[in-house]
Amino acid sequence: MRWGMVVDLTSCARCYACIAACRIEHFLPMGMSWPRLMALETGGDRPVVSTYSVRCNQCQEALCIEVCPTGATQQRADGIVWVDQDMCVGCRYCIIACPYQNRTFLSRDKDKGFFPGESLTDFEKAGKILYAHQVGTTEKCNFCAERIDAGLARGLRPGTDREATPACVNTCPARALTFGDLDDPNSEVAGLIREREGFQLHPEYDTDPSIYFIDGKIGYADTSD
Amino acid sequence: MEVHEWMIRYTRQTEWIDRRGIFLWIAFYAGGLGGGLYLVSLYFNSLWGMFISWLIIAVIKGGAHLIFLGKPTRFWRIIFRPQTSWLARGLIFVLLFVVFTAIQLVFSYWLPGTAGEIVFKVLAGIMALAVTVYTGFILNTVKAVPFWNSALLPVLFVLCGILGGFGLSVVIALNGGHVDIMAAETGSRWLLIINALIIAIYLWAAANREPTGKQSVIEQMRGSVAPIFWIGIVVLGIIIPLAIAFSSYFVVKVESALLVTGVACEVAGGLALRYCVLKAGAYKPLVATAH
Repeated sequence: MRWGMVVDLTSCARCYACIAACRIEHFLPMGMSWPRLMALETGGDRPVVSTYSVRCNQCQEALCIEVCPTGATQQRADGIVWVDQDMCVGCRYCIIACPYQNRTFLSRDKDKGFFPGESLTDFEKAGKILYAHQVGTTEKCNFCAERIDAGLARGLRPGTDREATPACVNTCPARALTFGDLDDPNSEVAGLIREREGFQLHPEYDTDPSIYFIDGKIGYADTSD
Repeated sequence: MEVHEWMIRYTRQTEWIDRRGIFLWIAFYAGGLGGGLYLVSLYFNSLWGMFISWLIIAVIKGGAHLIFLGKPTRFWRIIFRPQTSWLARGLIFVLLFVVFTAIQLVFSYWLPGTAGEIVFKVLAGIMALAVTVYTGFILNTVKAVPFWNSALLPVLFVLCGILGGFGLSVVIALNGGHVDIMAAETGSRWLLIINALIIAIYLWAAANREPTGKQSVIEQMRGSVAPIFWIGIVVLGIIIPLAIAFSSYFVVKVESALLVTGVACEVAGGLALRYCVLKAGAYKPLVATAH
């Protein structure tokens, strides 16, 4: 079993709902965002805005795991790469090593609160209890591993049952994100990759990302290389 | 709509040079300088040089590393996992150097000429070399930053550290330390020339390796880092020390103040070199279509 995601580049409506859902799900500080929406203009005089929803690629050959000096970055049997906040020493080697730049160091200035100088909102207070973030450590997307685990424990299927599926996938109104088991040839993600020629970002790094993109130009080999 | 260009163009690494990353830059340089000074001091058998190198590594390098870490009280977790990365191995080298050199200094001061002194000099010397070289390995194993992905980087860092060591040993000699100033000057002269050549080869190789490496070189020579490259590395780090070193070769007596100025320039050049290497390190764009 290997959890993976397919991002349909033509469907993304740039609504930022995935980012909001992740912030709510993980009580993310204002200065931090696990998924990111990249937008760029192409086309010169008649610019076209293209959008790319990116997040940690959960690489099978993750460079961040190779360099982590404390073993805080680990990989589960289902392929999810996660950071043990209690072991992270905050050296940022993983951030440096990630070719996709999808890790963030939580410094004090990124955790000033939603209303700096004011008391915490009820939402923030709840977050401190339910999903504590440690200043001075590195964080990244974990495919909502806690939702997957809780769902599996209840016999649900991640990618099919909402309660076992990552929050960003659930919330995407354009259905641009699809989640499932890459190892299962009958899964929806495997089908999309097979039928619509899914591709990974920067395959030249041999990291084997678990996120595939379909119907777009993103990830093509850098022809200038 | 606001266009977010993050990772659409070449993106410079910031974590290891901006803001608190400055401490890592200092730690990287202090390691090279301290290790280089120890090796040079071993050659000259200068107790003062060894002691100063111990101070540089134990206090400046160690302190800067700890300040840089997000969770400094957990630093011990790094030490027990040498199999993971050069960062872990490097901190082990630093700790062993501090311990071995402290013991060697005790032997050299109170029990000179004993087998213990020789054994710990050898051990501390090996660790000094390891401390000098490991930062180069930390950087050159990062596949994501092509500018660092060069086998020349560890060599450059070692030579730069030894050059700084020769420089500081000149200052120690001027203050009555047990150092042959002529030999130190000769060592500096040769290393300055070799360093300049390796820097040129390193930049040439980086520019020809792939577009991102070329971008880093352009950034370094013509971009925002250019003043530090040209003034710090070229003028302060190479031209002025070379001019002083060669004047000392032809002139019978060179003013001490001039020699100290040359050493200060060498140190500034070494700092500038590390700064430029860290600052110009860049990632490939995530979206290749943006070109």
